[in-house]
Amino acid sequence: MEQAIIALAAALTIAIATIAPATAQGKVGAAAMESIARQPEAAGNIQTAMILAMALLEALTIYGLLIAFMIVGKI
Amino acid sequence: MSHSGALFEVAGVEVTSTMTTAAAITVVLSAVVIAGTRNMKVSHPGRLQSALEYAMGSLRDFYASILGKERATAFTPILGTLFLFIIVSNYSGLLPYAGHLPGFQPPTGVLSTTVALAMITFFTTQIGGFKYNGVHYLGHFVKPVAPLLPLLLLEEVIHPLSLSLRLYGNIYGEETVLHQVSGLIPLGAPIIIMGLSLLFGFIQALVFTMLSAIYIEAATGHGH
Repeated sequence: MEQAIIALAAALTIAIATIAPATAQGKVGAAAMESIARQPEAAGNIQTAMILAMALLEALTIYGLLIAFMIVGKI
Repeated sequence: MSHSGALFEVAGVEVTSTMTTAAAITVVLSAVVIAGTRNMKVSHPGRLQSALEYAMGSLRDFYASILGKERATAFTPILGTLFLFIIVSNYSGLLPYAGHLPGFQPPTGVLSTTVALAMITFFTTQIGGFKYNGVHYLGHFVKPVAPLLPLLLLEEVIHPLSLSLRLYGNIYGEETVLHQVSGLIPLGAPIIIMGLSLLFGFIQALVFTMLSAIYIEAATGHGH
């Protein structure tokens, strides 16, 4: 029983930690594409800024992933 | 990911698989660079020299978009070295038998290595700040208002922490996913994950050095 709860906790950790950054990354990607469509000559700069923003968002999910791994280690 | 224990001991220090792989990567990278920069010619450069010049040139141009031309020339040696080491480490996990042979495990998939790399960034940022701004560098810790001091000091510690956790989490996560997928569908499916790993390995190396460049820019810049 206790093991099942731990497993569920690990699954919920990574699942919940993914939702908000995924939504935000979608917004970043959409905005970047819109900007590139409007101003194709600035595509390089926009791409750099997009990758940077996505990396910062991704870090949040990675923290969740690490916590999930730590919880799985307790089983 | 099967060999996490120590291989052997040197003077009481345990040597692990990641350490031997990191040393091997250092030796290989150094050998390639030394071979490429021997007998350098201006008029008819060799193939290796041209390739290295192209790589260093594009890296410098990339950092120049963040740091500006002058500081990019000063910091490209350290940032470019970090980039090359991280990308080769990331890709070493895709070679056959990586993680299954003793003494062969990608270094960036372990927190110790990424913390060490982030410490290099931390010290480069602080020393660079003092070098470019002198004692005035301390002023940027109390810049908008003095009560922010603890937060700004905390930020300096959190930057390398998040750098190292991001790199470690990505590479370790990729390795785990690759391991699981290879166990589930051994034929075909791992190739797709490996293709993605090629992309992510490059992006993570780029992001690590790009964020380092941004931290260095903030510390060495005058406008704050």
